[in-house]
Amino acid sequence: MEELAAQIEALREELAETNKKLNEAYRLIALGRLVAGVVHEINNPIGSIVSNNEVSLRALDALKQRLEEARAAGEPPPQKALDMVATLSSLAGVDRIACDRISAVVRSLKTFARPGEDSVRSISLNDLLRDTAKLVDCQYRRRITLELQLGELPEVECHPHLLSQVFLNIMVNAAQAIENEGKITVVSRLIPPDEVEVAISDTGKGIAPEHRARIFQAGFTTKPMGVGTGLGLALSRKIVERTHGGSIWFESEPGRGTTFYIRLPLKAPRPAPDENAPEDTGRRSD
Amino acid sequence: MNNGHVPHIVLVDDEEMVLTSIRAFLSLETDYDVATYSNPAEAVRHLTSRPVDVVVTDYLMPQMTGLDLLRKAKEAQPSAARILLTGHADKQSAIQAINEVGLYQYLEKPWDNAQLLLVINSAIERTRLLRLLEDKVLALDAAHGQIKEAQRRLIKAFL
Repeated sequence: MEELAAQIEALREELAETNKKLNEAYRLIALGRLVAGVVHEINNPIGSIVSNNEVSLRALDALKQRLEEARAAGEPPPQKALDMVATLSSLAGVDRIACDRISAVVRSLKTFARPGEDSVRSISLNDLLRDTAKLVDCQYRRRITLELQLGELPEVECHPHLLSQVFLNIMVNAAQAIENEGKITVVSRLIPPDEVEVAISDTGKGIAPEHRARIFQAGFTTKPMGVGTGLGLALSRKIVERTHGGSIWFESEPGRGTTFYIRLPLKAPRPAPDENAPEDTGRRSD
Repeated sequence: MNNGHVPHIVLVDDEEMVLTSIRAFLSLETDYDVATYSNPAEAVRHLTSRPVDVVVTDYLMPQMTGLDLLRKAKEAQPSAARILLTGHADKQSAIQAINEVGLYQYLEKPWDNAQLLLVINSAIERTRLLRLLEDKVLALDAAHGQIKEAQRRLIKAFL
């Protein structure tokens, strides 16, 4: 009997480990999909900074020479020198914006770049939403407007890494549901006394009634091969409901869009999450 | 550049920071007349209203892709050289650009100033030679017409 219990325990541990790896793999897949957008987002500011630095150094040399010549001749600074000062000043302004933009993208990436970290921390959920939205915005901003309506929230005790994965997954799904141009709105609010709710709405094609019951099932996807893994919503639901003791559901109208709701308690449930049991059914899927 | 002609460059990118940087670089290094647009539709209006030597455009822009812009540039000014400067490193879009709009060069961001200047300079030279060739062909056509006319008159005089 004891031997059997030990075997079951070993299997449970193995399953937990496999689940952890699956989570990790999915996180990397989700992030990988945004890499092109991130590269594009960073390329412009880097190009500008490198170019500006080169121009600034050469312009400073020329400026110094012109000012020295003017001084030697006892003349006021020539117009060309004043023009160069104006150019240098505008380039410094561009560099500042460019650096801020790179910093914002890197900060957003850092939210996802700590593999294996799943500790419970008290964090600002709004910051997490902002960082996640930034990454999605990099990829889709040329055709999709991303609006954040973030209410005042107390800190939330949660697994930030896992929750950011949920938000990323739902925002990317929302972007993919919009065929041409459209809008994603992210709303956060406090549900007194001790819950918070995040609603992520899109103006996309909506979820067909025949798909709604299966939307949270692992392996179910309506996306083409290579676009959808069929794991995103199943893992999201597991993270929200089992790990955080919250709830996730959606409302959808074909042709008008979908809103996903995520409700979380302010305090993470104890004990630590049970990583087992990967199965899913569409409990709250309309 | 030649005969007192100041090359005219049109630069299009939805990012003002890119326009500011490249404009500053070109103003320091060259005497070229550079027009910059963050809105591709305005750049198209410019292309239909005055002669341009080189068009440099980004690929991914909200209102219009760089490919669509270059297609319109080709219609409006076939001899202007077309350059794509993009952070969207996608082989498919590069091939499409080369095949569909007769792209002169495909450059990737982040760009290298020296390489960009080299490409712009050679694009200006290409446009100049192309326009020279067009002028020569026109002159040849005109000369050919004159010879034909002289020949017709000669034949008429002898018959």
